[in-house]
Amino acid sequence: MSPLDRLPSDRGRASEWLEHHALVAVTLGTAVVLVVMLYLPAGVVFSEAFVDDGLPTLGHFTDVLTDPFYFGILADVFAEPLAIGTHLGSLAAWVGAVSISLSVGYPIPGLDVPVPWIGIDTPGVRKGLFGFTAYQAALSTIASVALGLPAAYVLANYEFYGRQTLRSLTILPFVLPGIMVAVGFYAMFGRTGTLNSLLGAVGLGPFAFIEANPLAIVILAHAFYNAPLVARLTVTAWEAVDARTVETARSLGASERRAFRDVVVPQLAPAVLTGALLTFIFTFMTFPIVLALGGLQLATVEVWIYDRIQQLDYAEAATLAVLETILSLGLTYAYLRYESAQTGFARAPSPPSKERLIPDLRTALSLRRLAIFGYGLVALLLFVGPMASLVVGSFTDGSGFTLRNYAFLLERQLEGASFQTQPWPAVRNSLLFGVATLLVAVPMGVVISVVTVRAGRRGRIVDTLAMLPLAVSGVVFGIGLLQGLVFGISLPGGWRFQVTGAVAIVVAHAVAAYPFVTRNVSPLLGSLDPAMVESARALGASRTRAMLDIELPLVANGIVAGAAFAFAISVGEFSSTVILASGSESYTMPVAVERYLGRRSGPAIAMGTLLLIVTAASFVVIDRVGGRYEL
Amino acid sequence: MTELRLEGVSKRYGSGEGTAALRDVDLTVRDGELFTLVGPSGCGKTTTLRTIAGFEEPTAGTVSFDGEPMTAVPPEERDVGVVFQSYGLFPHMTVAENVGYGLRFRDPPNGTSVDERIAELLELVDLEGMGDRDPDQLSGGQQQRVALARALAPAPDLLLLDEPMSALDARLRESLRRQLTRIQSTLGLTTVYVTHDQDEALAISDRLAVMNDGQIEQVATPRELYHEPATRFVAEFVGDNNVFDGTVRTRVEDGARYRVDVDGTTFELAGVPAGVDRVSFCVRPAALSRTVERNEISVAVETSEFRGESVHVYGRWQERPIVLRLEDASEDELTVGFEPEDAHIVDAW
Amino acid sequence: MNHQRRTFIGTVGSVAALGLAGCLTREDDANGSSDADPEPEDPDLEGTLTVVTYESMIDGENPAGPWLKDAFEDEYPDAELEWVQLPNQGIGHYIEQARGNQEIDADVYVGLNIDDLVSVDDHLDDGGLFRELNEDRIDRSSRIRDGLDMGDPHDRVLAYDTGYISLVYDENVVDEPETFDDLTDPAYEDELLAQNAQTSDPGQAFLLWTIDAYGEDGYLDYWQDLEDNGVRVLEDWTESYYGAYMNEERSMVVSYSTDQVFATDEGHDLSRHQVAFPNGQGYANPEGMAIFEDADTVDLAYEFLDFVLSNEAQAEIAQRNVQFPAVEDEYVDLDDEFDRYAHVPPEAVTVGYDDLRGNLDSWVDDWGREFASH
Repeated sequence: MSPLDRLPSDRGRASEWLEHHALVAVTLGTAVVLVVMLYLPAGVVFSEAFVDDGLPTLGHFTDVLTDPFYFGILADVFAEPLAIGTHLGSLAAWVGAVSISLSVGYPIPGLDVPVPWIGIDTPGVRKGLFGFTAYQAALSTIASVALGLPAAYVLANYEFYGRQTLRSLTILPFVLPGIMVAVGFYAMFGRTGTLNSLLGAVGLGPFAFIEANPLAIVILAHAFYNAPLVARLTVTAWEAVDARTVETARSLGASERRAFRDVVVPQLAPAVLTGALLTFIFTFMTFPIVLALGGLQLATVEVWIYDRIQQLDYAEAATLAVLETILSLGLTYAYLRYESAQTGFARAPSPPSKERLIPDLRTALSLRRLAIFGYGLVALLLFVGPMASLVVGSFTDGSGFTLRNYAFLLERQLEGASFQTQPWPAVRNSLLFGVATLLVAVPMGVVISVVTVRAGRRGRIVDTLAMLPLAVSGVVFGIGLLQGLVFGISLPGGWRFQVTGAVAIVVAHAVAAYPFVTRNVSPLLGSLDPAMVESARALGASRTRAMLDIELPLVANGIVAGAAFAFAISVGEFSSTVILASGSESYTMPVAVERYLGRRSGPAIAMGTLLLIVTAASFVVIDRVGGRYEL
Repeated sequence: MTELRLEGVSKRYGSGEGTAALRDVDLTVRDGELFTLVGPSGCGKTTTLRTIAGFEEPTAGTVSFDGEPMTAVPPEERDVGVVFQSYGLFPHMTVAENVGYGLRFRDPPNGTSVDERIAELLELVDLEGMGDRDPDQLSGGQQQRVALARALAPAPDLLLLDEPMSALDARLRESLRRQLTRIQSTLGLTTVYVTHDQDEALAISDRLAVMNDGQIEQVATPRELYHEPATRFVAEFVGDNNVFDGTVRTRVEDGARYRVDVDGTTFELAGVPAGVDRVSFCVRPAALSRTVERNEISVAVETSEFRGESVHVYGRWQERPIVLRLEDASEDELTVGFEPEDAHIVDAW
Repeated sequence: MNHQRRTFIGTVGSVAALGLAGCLTREDDANGSSDADPEPEDPDLEGTLTVVTYESMIDGENPAGPWLKDAFEDEYPDAELEWVQLPNQGIGHYIEQARGNQEIDADVYVGLNIDDLVSVDDHLDDGGLFRELNEDRIDRSSRIRDGLDMGDPHDRVLAYDTGYISLVYDENVVDEPETFDDLTDPAYEDELLAQNAQTSDPGQAFLLWTIDAYGEDGYLDYWQDLEDNGVRVLEDWTESYYGAYMNEERSMVVSYSTDQVFATDEGHDLSRHQVAFPNGQGYANPEGMAIFEDADTVDLAYEFLDFVLSNEAQAEIAQRNVQFPAVEDEYVDLDDEFDRYAHVPPEAVTVGYDDLRGNLDSWVDDWGREFASH
């Protein structure tokens, strides 16, 4: 008997066809979206790096690579790559000049607490702009992981009042416009900031936290953005750790610590490394926050790209941006090789149970609990502090408490003219775009995961390229959107291809957001036993149906986490929104913050506070709704 | 019921030459037969099974069920039941939901309802009343039987089993094996069974194929395969065996036998093809006997294992490993011989 | 005051990217003659006048934009004024449109800087984008103060207000700096906050001011001294002022001479809001208005430019936007309050069109590289 004869007859041919081709259709849709909203805009600008007077050239790269301003001592190496002897000689001379000393330092500003300090004295190396950018990104990554992991540990292993809400709110810093973070940091850590007021109340200070070490404060600001990212990714993985594997290890005689190292750590490593990778890429391409807090001495590559763009030197800007992208994608590829080597099989979810954080007073005073509370205090200062200080700032001026900033918002809403920016449309647009982004980005991200996760090396290359949105300079992408989509591209036959407005904004947001879905979903999907999907297919399920019935329910944690990120990216996105929304009513909350920023900062800060409240509420809702689908 | 045929099936991974997983495989599995693919790991047996199921597309050749070409048909439309080594149970569904999954796409046979069919299958695999459990509450053997029940529920034309027992301990494996052959013969279902375990293959199969390096070495019944291995590889892979290489010297007077020289010792063998210079031949352990006084060799015993009915003796003759099966053996050195007809020529050139 | 924060994307325009080089045709301007718009017999004062302007003209607190619209429409009942928010890329948006031969659907641009004009002329044909103005059609143009001529050789722009960059300091901590040299004294060590000239308008103005004071050859040495004395260069005015200065990180900041107007309004102690004019100078940033070449309602546009220079409009713009009027004192009446808190420098300096053209980019670039060398 032909197997075709056995097809159920009660289903229509059309839906049959759709189901069989849904995966292909969504894949194609994703490809089209990427070409139009990512490769086209990025390509329009990137191509400038390879052209000089209309002729193809690599001269721009030679210029940049051999400029010590950009590449420090590496510029010599790039200039004469074959003079290996000379380079080794300089390296040996450098190593010979390193000295190590032990001394006593006073690292805490204003406090005479001596700390033994091992000084490694290295002779100065000219790092160049790229070297310094990588250096601060590496430090920021270390800080973000160090501050993010304890949060993940607490959220994944302890039960306490408000845990779920706190977990939902971890990505809140992600949506704050850079200017708000800068102002919030000053309001928290400045000489007359909240922290110094608190310390002053117990007779300490004031301390010049920001002036004392600008680089340190920039790194903390980067951690403010990215530690929650690390925490969120890790919590998702931690809650998917199969508790039985830990129990097995314990029953085989492993100590708690040993079981953690041998069983839990390998299951968390992909998530932690994903967080570290994303943090490095983000902070490598950091732009407003470095100069807002640290100053021009801490300029990064992205600052120079922006400057080149302003001076209409597209070739140099594109060259710098291409180098940034190559670096980011190279790291991504290396990571993905690692990730695919890590995939295990058949982890039936059996999440670890959570301990009560404060079961009784005695336990609460144990060393581990005290360490957790200590971390909680640090987190309170670093994460809640700047945001709370912003909120306080929106209610105060030189004479104390005031409501005038909110009165401004209200008045603008009630009496504003049509050409003025109003709060409610901004809130409404942000929410609409956020939900729409989520609906577009989740299928895109999931499909890319499904298509690439077992496709071997080719899949890894596709997966790497799919991470391009994170690896393209935001400044360059903005210009690409303007040139490629807003102004449009001339096509033969007098047609002009243009994309703007609300749909374009949503699609641009989805392009920026889907990598988060993919990175949340891929590790979980990779750990599923392929025999499950194949069993389902042999039992009669199409590839699409197998994905819906088997794979998606089993990676729901990752999808919900990815969806929350997608929403957060959309709500926080500024640079492409402002370009695509210009001249229309499609402005969002961050755009409104920017537009309200005048000689008085109050209205913008009040709008920023509104942004915080609206997104905080949204995250709680997303997690509550999504939580129903989690395992 | 279904006859399965593979004709000239090849599979290469990667582009261009790539690595060949299957080379020109021809195979016919008869209706209702329990057919086993056996071979060392990497020999292509699992690839063959996955090609039959439709998870792999052959680079060349055709797969057909009852003469109907299947090569372009996706797995979900082939009506095959598959049981994997790791079972592939759906952890988010109960046992009953797992077994019933295939019935979402195909109606249960003989007009039974879905619930009846699930109950029927659970009874078939001795898991009555376990329907509400989650798979991770079951033992390995129980999970394996759920996987079998799930594969059988939609009444497939073909049952494919990929090393279904290899994760289980030996005792459980044997009892499940019997249960499986019982079910298979009751249903009369054409079944392809993949295993690397040649004992298991010999024990359960109607016929079996030995695979090596992407090719089929021999297709035969277990008995044929054991006694008349077609190639040196089969001789060494299936069961214990003693393989010798020798030079053909002279024909014995009556004409049916030849004298063959192995490292200075001369043996008399039957069945040597005419006109060859060299032969490889094998002698099964049981054919080497102390009571036979022809073709004698003197074996230095290294270890012996008591196996109840017999003793397995492992020793050496002229540096070659030799396996014997004797009723009893306590000597350090013993002399055994074999009849010329008990030697089987596996290669000649 | 024009956008304190420079727009995120800044000026834009590359012909190579679109492959349209040379496609731009400019019929009316090809011979470089100065045929400004002749006075019409019967001006057409009906229709919609589309005016592009920056955010704080329409979106800030109590901005002048809505008042201008109402007042203008009262005066010209057949006309409607439509405000359009300047796209984020600023003047670059229009440069790019002009290069792409796309029609610009705006009539008037309010908020043009001298460096915007330089940018227009660097990337389009000289004297492009805006019409050469026939000042005979704008009676009140003669009221504009001397020194606010923006120096455009093609007469495309008229100033309507100006701001002055100055220093704002905390008199409890530092004395008023008398000269630029004072800022390199130990007394001002680690006290000065400035802004990135690459991205911030006051930052760029302060840099140009030092170039005016020390010359093209001397300004980098001066900045080296400032750096040795611990100047901190932050990204934008908002961070440096509302972030660092208002949280008392430092006691001096590059800011606007109208600082006290806001400080009073917000109830701050004026001792932290003292305005200093080193060398007795302030750097003037005049803002101008111009009519697009593509304008549909040219007659109405001329009337609008004239209207903006009227007594009442000048007073409203100055007081609502906290900028200084462009017209001589006798043509505008300001509140005493404004006069008291908005300070005018004894001498205003500005680097004009001719000097900026061809130099601005390299000045800023050299300065930036000096600061950001790792």
